Amino acid sequence: MALVLSESDAQLVTRAQSGDEQAFAELVRRHSALVFRLAVSILGREYIPEAEDVTQEVFLKVHHAIESFRGEAEFRSWIYRITFNQAVNLKARARFRSPHGDETSLHDIPSAGPGAERQLELAQRDQALAECIRTLPEVYQSALHLYYWLDAGVDEVAELLDIPPNTAKSYLHRARQLLRGMLREKGHSCE
Amino acid sequence: MNETNGPDRDLPQMEEGIDRLLRRSMAAPVPALPTDFDRRLMQEVRLRKQPLDRYRRMLLGGYGVVSVVVSAILMRSERLDWGVVFGTLLATIALIAITRPAWRARHAINKGQ
Repeated sequence: MALVLSESDAQLVTRAQSGDEQAFAELVRRHSALVFRLAVSILGREYIPEAEDVTQEVFLKVHHAIESFRGEAEFRSWIYRITFNQAVNLKARARFRSPHGDETSLHDIPSAGPGAERQLELAQRDQALAECIRTLPEVYQSALHLYYWLDAGVDEVAELLDIPPNTAKSYLHRARQLLRGMLREKGHSCE
Repeated sequence: MNETNGPDRDLPQMEEGIDRLLRRSMAAPVPALPTDFDRRLMQEVRLRKQPLDRYRRMLLGGYGVVSVVVSAILMRSERLDWGVVFGTLLATIALIAITRPAWRARHAINKGQ
């Protein structure tokens, strides 16, 4: 077991390709949490159980195809690419069905009492923001969710989206700019 | 919010408002995989691997044997020599053995490579 822990991904992949189950289990242990975070960042809060399914499906696919992995790219880039495609496909299919719940719910706001009007206004702005986020390109949405919801740093965003850190920063910057503009158009201020 | 992802000091002033808004609106518990996820996944891997491989091999093996027998019968019915029949069948099997690795490599999920 100690040997497995000290081995690189490339070494583990070579062993998994020859049918070593322990090596594959170690690859799962190393990457499952990040694969899940990437899936969650794409699918959003409404689809957390589906993100778990995506994570499982990704590793089953990887296990099935590992013999043909030639190692020309890093193993983790390969699985993150599969995860991204799998999650985006699932999200596209899920758009035709009704989500489990919305990101914000106006029904939770008390209809009377002190500050109720202000609370309703804030909830409406949050809902408008959630709608604006859904119109952004998938990579921007994922970057925002990773950074603001899942507490990922810029380096982790870059790693999971397989882009340089400066590109991750520029995605976040561009996403914020777009959201500011969209919110303003909808009559909401960011202050 | 961890330190690596605290308020960005390099953030342009005009983006501070939307940055605060995003932090507030996305404040929610961070989900995590169940602790037994890896164990359940490895069980699923074993489950899918064994019966499927055995079934596939039996199916392919059976198909191969039937193909060879039917081909031999058809060729013999056309009055070809046993030498030509064996030669043709062996050449086909050899061709499959040579091209199979290349075919598998081409059809693998290697989009990321």
